[in-house]
Amino acid sequence: MPLLNDEIRQEVSKILADLPGPVRLVMFTQEFECEYCTETRQLVEEVAELSDRITAEIYDFQADRAKAEELGIDKIPAIAVIGAQDYGVRFYGIPSGYEFASFLHAIQSVAAGKPELSDATLRVVAGIQKPVHIQVFVTPTCPYCPQAVMLAHQLAIASPLIRADMVEAMEFPHLAVKYQVMGVPRTVINETVHIEGAAPESHVVAKLQEALKA
Amino acid sequence: MLDFKLAPSQPEARPSDEVYDLIILGGGPAGLTAAIYAGRARIHTLVVVGPLPGGQPANTDMVENFPGFPEGIDGPDLARRFVAQAERFGVHLVHDTVTGVDLSVRPFVVRTDMATYRAHTLIIAMGAVPRRLGVPGEDRFFGRGVSACATCDGFFYRDKRVVVVGGGDSAVTEALYLTRFAREVILVHRRDQLRATQIHQERAFANPKMRFVWNSAVEEILGDKTVTGVRVRNLKTGETSVIEADGVFIYIGMEPQTELFRGQLELDEHGYIVTDRRQRTSVPGVYAAGDIQDPLYRQLVVAAGTGAVAAMEVEKYLEMYPQNNQEQQ
Repeated sequence: MPLLNDEIRQEVSKILADLPGPVRLVMFTQEFECEYCTETRQLVEEVAELSDRITAEIYDFQADRAKAEELGIDKIPAIAVIGAQDYGVRFYGIPSGYEFASFLHAIQSVAAGKPELSDATLRVVAGIQKPVHIQVFVTPTCPYCPQAVMLAHQLAIASPLIRADMVEAMEFPHLAVKYQVMGVPRTVINETVHIEGAAPESHVVAKLQEALKA
Repeated sequence: MLDFKLAPSQPEARPSDEVYDLIILGGGPAGLTAAIYAGRARIHTLVVVGPLPGGQPANTDMVENFPGFPEGIDGPDLARRFVAQAERFGVHLVHDTVTGVDLSVRPFVVRTDMATYRAHTLIIAMGAVPRRLGVPGEDRFFGRGVSACATCDGFFYRDKRVVVVGGGDSAVTEALYLTRFAREVILVHRRDQLRATQIHQERAFANPKMRFVWNSAVEEILGDKTVTGVRVRNLKTGETSVIEADGVFIYIGMEPQTELFRGQLELDEHGYIVTDRRQRTSVPGVYAAGDIQDPLYRQLVVAAGTGAVAAMEVEKYLEMYPQNNQEQQ
């Protein structure tokens, strides 16, 4: 049984037509697949089928440890969305529901390799000297969450020092507890700075600067 | 059980130095219908799409009262179609947040989070946002125990106790949604009966996880690091009491997003932009459509209708003042 029905499949084919560059969907699962590992793998394979510029690579989190470490993957299911280079765009947990839009947008964005951000944001990002890790906690039923995820991923594309994860809170309840997630989207920058809700770009950039000063 | 929703395409940033014939503030049903009409009239148009492209339908499970979809249509799908249809007719869309306007100069100035734009005419269609209680503790805990989105945050209250504030359709349907996760859902309402549609009321009263606290208003959200409960006042007896809860969901209706326009446009006593039958506001060349100017109906199809009227009026206005329209192009 395919996950994507015919109608969605057709729409996705249209959305992914004319990708400006190649995209690798590097997915990590394991032999005894975790909750949603099976579906995440299947989703990656089904999406890859819809464009000849997308390839799916499936790795085992245990057996292919070196590969996981190389890409900084620390939990599964995980997808690294990689374009001409690895921009640090990650999805932890299945990008279903509203997050499917974030996933498609990430594919389009890494294929283009050009961040959709304002000049003011790009200037700030260009001046970053330290690594930045952005985690955006979401649920698949949250209509406001993709905006936060997409913005984080754009920042990752804009700077080699920024990596950005979508983290599906229901699949990683221990992380939801650790980061005190009681509402989504909740963005955590470098473990210290938090943003509640889908904030405007300038607000997220200000928080990013705050995290860098800490 | 897994579903995969498609979203409206992500609008790209536009250069801000050109003067548009029309800027539409808001990318919901009213703004996008206006955009479709403006695009077809070949009016040089920019749409500033807010935080939820497609507007409130993007946050609605199933829309059953929009004509042309006898089986109903998935809200996000409808939102995506609105955006696609507007784009088809050549209008520019940007994803940004409007932070201010200056209606005292011509062309009008629209400031957003990331840019400044100018236009000869405006259609304001920024809709309505969930009303807040305005009580102590609410701001501090918003996103951390206080929520206005049960579908977003319900999962975090598995086996917990939550309070829902309100008595209308949203309050009751979202309370019912929360019973899937929570151990107990306590609905606090100012009156002694619900305003919600009868079918929702029947479902709520039949649900064993639901409890009702009548004639009561929440006065404070309590807690130190996390929410521990709410203090409520009984409006009949004046007595206050504490209801223990791990989370609070607020559904007390919507309010128009008009703070930016206060002092520049005539607003009614509830903050809605005052418009006439042609969607004209108190400033010539500035029109308003949708929920931001509709204290009565706030329906998708009405919002779309007023958006169409506003765009047709903009077309007439630009024809009447061609000098405005052409000198900058």
